[in-house]
Amino acid sequence: MKKYDTPLIDELEKGPWPSFVTEMKKAGKNNEMANDAVGHLEKCYQTKVGYWKHGGIVGVLGYGGGVIGRYSELGDEFPGVAHCHTVRINQTSGFFYTSSALREICDIWDKYGSGLTNMHGSTGDLVLLGTKTDALETIFAEYSSRGWDLGSSGSALRTPNCCVGPGRCEWTNYDTLDLNYALTQEFQDEIHRPMFSYKFKIKMSGCACDCVASIARADMSIIGTWKGHIEINQDEVKNYAKNGMDIKAEIVDMCPTQCISYEGEEFKINNAECSRCMHCITRMTKALKPAGERGATICIGSKAPIVVGSLLSWVIVPFIKVEPPYTELKDLIRKIWEWWDDNAKPRERIGEVIEMKGMRSFLEGIGQSPIPQQIKEPRKDPFMFYTEDDMAAFKAKEAEEKKTGKYKF
Amino acid sequence: MAELQDKIFAFCEAAKGKKKLKEKDILIGVSAELSLEKDDVKKALREMINVGRLMYSYGGGASSVEIPSEEYLREKGMIP
Repeated sequence: MKKYDTPLIDELEKGPWPSFVTEMKKAGKNNEMANDAVGHLEKCYQTKVGYWKHGGIVGVLGYGGGVIGRYSELGDEFPGVAHCHTVRINQTSGFFYTSSALREICDIWDKYGSGLTNMHGSTGDLVLLGTKTDALETIFAEYSSRGWDLGSSGSALRTPNCCVGPGRCEWTNYDTLDLNYALTQEFQDEIHRPMFSYKFKIKMSGCACDCVASIARADMSIIGTWKGHIEINQDEVKNYAKNGMDIKAEIVDMCPTQCISYEGEEFKINNAECSRCMHCITRMTKALKPAGERGATICIGSKAPIVVGSLLSWVIVPFIKVEPPYTELKDLIRKIWEWWDDNAKPRERIGEVIEMKGMRSFLEGIGQSPIPQQIKEPRKDPFMFYTEDDMAAFKAKEAEEKKTGKYKF
Repeated sequence: MAELQDKIFAFCEAAKGKKKLKEKDILIGVSAELSLEKDDVKKALREMINVGRLMYSYGGGASSVEIPSEEYLREKGMIP
């Protein structure tokens, strides 16, 4: 195997942190592809050119997503990475694996690919980096025969993703793992057969801590919340104070809606003003906990900057019960896709279409009533829905009042 | 079904080299041309993709439907 001299990328191995270069070199000792990837990377650093071609016609028969074609312009110099396609495997809900499952994935990948992985990609999938075109069908056959499936790529519903939820977290307000599985099963066609204008991501977080960053990285964010008050254990609050917590600075002053008061005696929360951000609960875990009905808030439209700038998700349904078989949620998702499909130009994410067409048009399209919680900023977006019937009724009422002398301007 | 699939194929052939067709373009175009339900066109299209008569391609983050090249079909073992 050819040994590459790599002074530039060696710099990335220095310091106390783990280094992807070290891992690539390790894999390169036994794998030609990984070895050539090391040489290729050094060349990219030397010349400051990427040399990668992205996309094209590469994939598994019948599937439109799950394989991302990558070719190098330097195939003659680095034959191991002339084809270096990425394969996405549908991850488990909450990223729970047994060690034997991980071993199985890696053994197959060592056999047909570079051995390099990305656990996990930012999209959520388990990402396998670098294989050749002629190995794709075999890789797919081996993984699927063991119960694994490809993830998603392109203009499709990207593999749904969720936080660990009830698997490990006491704060979750709904079963993120079950919902993630249910949506993945329900929308198999949308995941594997790209039918949209562009990508659509659904991420599920059990609470507003939002461990999967759904508010910033998902076209549809399903974030757990509750309807009741926050239960307070005053003795535990006192214990936190006794143990050195500055409750005023760390909790009261950091409450975004300023709904907490504490004067050294009683810890009070004005629940009507609470936005359920989870800050106080995560800082005083023994003293505070949510109570009452559990469910989720649905937000729409976040994305990274490609066509227009980055967007954060926008509340469209402040509270929805999230319970099997999730019919209401699935219907809502289908209505959202339908409106998006009717209105989007190629490569337009749903958040961009809402920005252009307006939230009013979107809400009308999906049949949601306008409510105060949907207002994004104070004194903006009042969503006045006056239909022709409304205007006619208003005029009739006005005429009637004028007739009876009750009319006041 | 075979007749519908031929129409879909002809629709894709006409767009070849001119426009990258999204699945939606085919559903709208063919269903309007033949006065059919989009779901029927979708079923026929799905069959064609399953057997490699049409295929998905990918570029710039977006996907489209294309007629596969001979090289692709050979690679998938569909022609000798």
